[in-house]
Amino acid sequence: MPEIIVKPPNLKELWKMLPGLPSDRRYLAGGTDLVTADNAGAEHSECWIDISGLPELTGIKETAGSLFIGSGVKISEIERSAAARKWCPALAAAIPHFASPSLRNMATLGGNAANGSPCADGVCALVAEGAYALLALRGKKRRLPLKDLFLGPKRTALKKDEVILGFEIPKRRRAGAYFKLGPRAYFGISKAAVAVTAEISGGLIKKARVALGSVAPVPLYAARTSAWLLGKKLSAATIAGAADLVKAEASPITDTRSAADYRRDMCGVLLERALKSLA
Amino acid sequence: MAEKKKPSVFPLKCAVNGEKVEREIDSSRTLLEFIRGDLGLKGTKEGCGEGECGACMVLVDGRAVNSCLMMAVQLHGKELVTIEGIKGRDGGLHPLQKTFMAEGAVQCGFCTPGLIVASEALLRRNPKATLEEIKLELTGNLCRCTGYEKVLSAVEKARGK
Repeated sequence: MPEIIVKPPNLKELWKMLPGLPSDRRYLAGGTDLVTADNAGAEHSECWIDISGLPELTGIKETAGSLFIGSGVKISEIERSAAARKWCPALAAAIPHFASPSLRNMATLGGNAANGSPCADGVCALVAEGAYALLALRGKKRRLPLKDLFLGPKRTALKKDEVILGFEIPKRRRAGAYFKLGPRAYFGISKAAVAVTAEISGGLIKKARVALGSVAPVPLYAARTSAWLLGKKLSAATIAGAADLVKAEASPITDTRSAADYRRDMCGVLLERALKSLA
Repeated sequence: MAEKKKPSVFPLKCAVNGEKVEREIDSSRTLLEFIRGDLGLKGTKEGCGEGECGACMVLVDGRAVNSCLMMAVQLHGKELVTIEGIKGRDGGLHPLQKTFMAEGAVQCGFCTPGLIVASEALLRRNPKATLEEIKLELTGNLCRCTGYEKVLSAVEKARGK
């Protein structure tokens, strides 16, 4: 465990506090990844900064064009939010597959992203929603497409001390789905996962976003498959074509959870099921 | 040998099983260590230490959490209920404790506090939970004596009591 945990009351105080803290420091939010890593001996920071209570990171707010989900929002809060269910269909579908009910009461959406795991269910779904990450470092704020936050397993584009304020999701009427293959029906880490959103009108796909979990070094936005779906009817032939294409976009590895070839094949199967559920 | 550093102290204010608690704690303690070590409440168990088994489950502000993965400082300003605080209206056994006994849902008993806490969280929120909803709520509670059938029937029988 760290030697010290500090608990700033708000962002302004956090920025003031930083120069006085040991430089070997990390942010603590829900703790479900960080404390596990520490208990397992894989995390050794001198100082943790508990940002779980920062008021700037809380709440789910609707504006005219977008939905803001604070990074400190617990996964179970998203489950209870009518606005999140309405505007984030893929994220809403992912939530029952996110760990267990008690871990959903602890884990935050920001932590799910900052942890940088390729298997993060919430993040994979958010990438399919076309979300942006809002970041802050002292007075400086920036906004980047969430898919660009991830650089590799457990590696993100976050600078030292940079905080994820939250996620901005464009409010557009779209259908969405999340299909995950784990070792059992619930409460398991995925072997492969597929999130998809689509805007369909007049029988044609006007916009589509496909994201993949656990089959690449990062939660992967499947750009080629997403683009290929545009302007097509959601027919059996389209679904089969997209399933073939997505297998080529995945770059899975063989590890303790599954085998690369199987994971690649399952991307096709899961996308097929996901697209069928939207039809 | 390296000199052991002094723990950093945090002034924690919270409520535990309905009573106000104010105490200076070592900031690097988990909630589970605080409950078992500082408060001496031994009903909450440590199983896996990684959020898989649910033996350490407690209620924080009415919601079930895994106390092995929460830091004690994160309890500041909040209300904790441990298995010791789960009681019937008359101060005796809670309906879930009665149905767990009646159904024989306890074998070695190690998972029982966590199962009762998780079930209580569900029934407070959803007193008419279906069997399917009970199963989903208990996905984070492992019983290695494999007494799940009896656990499920105990929770079903406690509905509305």
